Amino acid sequence: MAKSNAVINAHYKRLSPGKKIARDFSHNKYKYLMILPVLVYLILFCYKPMYGIQIAFKNFKVTRGMAKSPWVGLYWFEHFFNDPYFWRLLRNTFTISGLTILFGFPAPIVLALMLNEVRNSKFKRTVQTITYMPYFISLVVLCSLIKIYCQQYGLVSDIVSFFGGVKQNWLQDPRYFRIIYVISDIWQGIGWNSIIYLAALSGIDQEQYEAARIDGANRFQQMLHITLPGLLPTITILFILRMGSILNVGYEKILLLYQPTTYEVADVFSTYTYRISLGATTPQYSLSTAVSLFNTVVNVVFLLITNFLSGRTTESSLF
Amino acid sequence: MKKALALILSLCLVLAATSAFALELKSGEGVYPLGSDKTITWYSQDSHNIHSDFADWHDSPFHVNLSKQIGVNIEWILPTTGADGATFTNTLLADPSNLPNIMEAYFMNNAQQYLDDEVIWDLTPYIQEYAPAYYAFLQTNPAYDKAMKTDAGQYYAFGFFREDGGWNDSYQGPVVRKDWLEECGLEIPKTISEFENVIRVFHEKYGAVFTTSFNVRFSQMGMSGAFGAYGNVNSGYLFYVDDGKVGLAQTTEEYRAWLKWFSDLYKAGLVDTDLLTVDDTTVKTKVETGLSGIAITSMGQMNNWNNEMEANGDGRPWIGIPYPTGDDGTLYSIFGGTGIGSITGVITKSADEETMKLCLRALDYAYTKEGFMFWNYGIEGESWEMDETTGLPKWTPLVADDKSNDPMIKYNGTTWSGSCIQATNLLYLKNSQASIDADDAWFYLGMGRDTTDMDRVLEVTSSHKWPNGVTFTTEESDELDLYTANLATYVTEQCTSFLVGNKDVSDDTEWNNYLNGLNQYHLDRVLEIRQNCLDRYLAR
Repeated sequence: MAKSNAVINAHYKRLSPGKKIARDFSHNKYKYLMILPVLVYLILFCYKPMYGIQIAFKNFKVTRGMAKSPWVGLYWFEHFFNDPYFWRLLRNTFTISGLTILFGFPAPIVLALMLNEVRNSKFKRTVQTITYMPYFISLVVLCSLIKIYCQQYGLVSDIVSFFGGVKQNWLQDPRYFRIIYVISDIWQGIGWNSIIYLAALSGIDQEQYEAARIDGANRFQQMLHITLPGLLPTITILFILRMGSILNVGYEKILLLYQPTTYEVADVFSTYTYRISLGATTPQYSLSTAVSLFNTVVNVVFLLITNFLSGRTTESSLF
Repeated sequence: MKKALALILSLCLVLAATSAFALELKSGEGVYPLGSDKTITWYSQDSHNIHSDFADWHDSPFHVNLSKQIGVNIEWILPTTGADGATFTNTLLADPSNLPNIMEAYFMNNAQQYLDDEVIWDLTPYIQEYAPAYYAFLQTNPAYDKAMKTDAGQYYAFGFFREDGGWNDSYQGPVVRKDWLEECGLEIPKTISEFENVIRVFHEKYGAVFTTSFNVRFSQMGMSGAFGAYGNVNSGYLFYVDDGKVGLAQTTEEYRAWLKWFSDLYKAGLVDTDLLTVDDTTVKTKVETGLSGIAITSMGQMNNWNNEMEANGDGRPWIGIPYPTGDDGTLYSIFGGTGIGSITGVITKSADEETMKLCLRALDYAYTKEGFMFWNYGIEGESWEMDETTGLPKWTPLVADDKSNDPMIKYNGTTWSGSCIQATNLLYLKNSQASIDADDAWFYLGMGRDTTDMDRVLEVTSSHKWPNGVTFTTEESDELDLYTANLATYVTEQCTSFLVGNKDVSDDTEWNNYLNGLNQYHLDRVLEIRQNCLDRYLAR
């Protein structure tokens, strides 16, 4: 059997590329058929729209269409980098995104580890259901809840005043915006994001735990030396992917929560883009495309850097 | 004899008052229905949304009946329910080859650009022949005619006009709980000091605060007029006009005085600290639970408050009161308008010349005597009948007994806006008496509906407003677009911070920092461009 495979392979290598593809196709036609929808999706929704990137280099007017709008080179990028708000946007985007990664990224891992240690399955299921729930609430509803909790006579004020603080509207104060944003982000995503880690945990060989117990390792040592290393590849991949969207702050949530008084700490690239395009009476398509393109480029750079560093240190990387 | 004379005199006065903006419309008899078997497509951004009882326009009497009245098939295109109308319009415009024949949306400021790019029809050569009623209507008031053409004198749009000349544009203002006023032995406040006193007394006695929804009801105007200022922190109302000069209200000392007055109240705990984050619904809850006795809201919302409180057995305590004046009696401006809307109907180049002429006829119908009645009330005998006593239309039980929200929009097209004339009587029929009284208090500045000083009313309500009908050239709008969004963000942000005391408005360094910051946002250039546009507009 092994020999005949070798013969086929040798024969296969002698074929011209076109024939190779044709042969491969006829051998695996069902697999190709299965991948077709994905390809169609990628071409239609990811590659075809890319021709719209040229809007960033043109003075685009909808009524003139793509072809008739004049080329302006890097005009919009220059305008954007000289924008009085550029540095503030950059700072806010990185801060909010950084805080979300710093606190929001480990949170589901911790939850998964803790759930893993729970032996009472009823309790475990209850905790899981409760933590998943906010994920399924529409963001608009969720933000209305946050707004109500943060009012002067709301839940947050009640708790704070119980500990001797003052009652105030928390969303209006620029000092608290980022805290509210990060905490609510964790609240919404912690349960859902822990699923993938729980799945990875179930893949860890139980015999390792047995061996460790025989060697006298306690629960904490088991977690540290078996569970965590077992999770590490998953954590790394997810972290690289997360870094690839470092500038993608959840703008819907910021739009729903920010006020003129908190623009200073809350305004990010995506909300700025929204205000100059969809929010304006005459949308600035070119400028907003340029900002988005800039956003994407920075994201890709971060993805590549993290991927490279990760490949060097942990030997797990995307490509 | 004397009594009879007095009666006749007072009758004449009433008639004079109600006919202050008398309409003289051409009859469309013999023209409509047109009897055309053609189909035109008609888009409307926010004006003729379908009543929530209906699935789509095929079930909606107004949309279906308009086709029959005009005598041409209309295929309606409307934004998806709940979708943002402006976004929908932008999506349509992104495909210029497939535009609807008629589009009702915000075209006025960039009209010149749409004409230059041949997106919409220049109607000047056709308007007199194919839209005679509309043309005649425009000639009755130079302000109307001026607003509906470009600087070069090209007609391109069918506008929205309020028969009342701006009464309904002042649909929001200060309101107060009458029962509390009486309990505290207070008069209706006339000046800003008396207004402040009411807030203070209510706070002492009931622990109540001044409340409003900043985003929805307050940011457009507030009460800055009492301080000799115009405008508030909302971007759409940034620019005022004084004696033909454009200015930014938020740079004036008068405006600073208003900010200071309000932030002092805010600091003293007399203002609802949630005002920036709340919407109408939350404010209603606050009001119901007695958290506030003096506020700024709209006539519709005030009616809702009264309904809720009546259901709770608390009577209908809320009444509208005139905008407070300065202590010396001056009042520079209040929330209001000229009675000319900013939504207009245009005909796009997707219509060939024949279709365009047909569209002109279709649009013209709303400005004929018969069309005016249909657009405002629907079909006679079906949704309305003549009230013998007043000589004005009234609803039949079909509308009057319909308990849904705004049932009249099932049958009429003028309730919100559109290319049409909104009848004052429609607003009287639509609103409760308390709401009408409130609007009277705001619009007539407390002088009552039969005031003889209409000049003052118009000056305060609308003369300082940036006119809706100004058109920018392509270059001008390109440049304005670059600066406006940032400028608006900056001004809104800074003024709100002053308002709630995150920054101290009394501190000269902070105030000057803010003023100096405006240069960074090209305020000078924006004012220069706007001044040019205004000059051209005034010279039309």
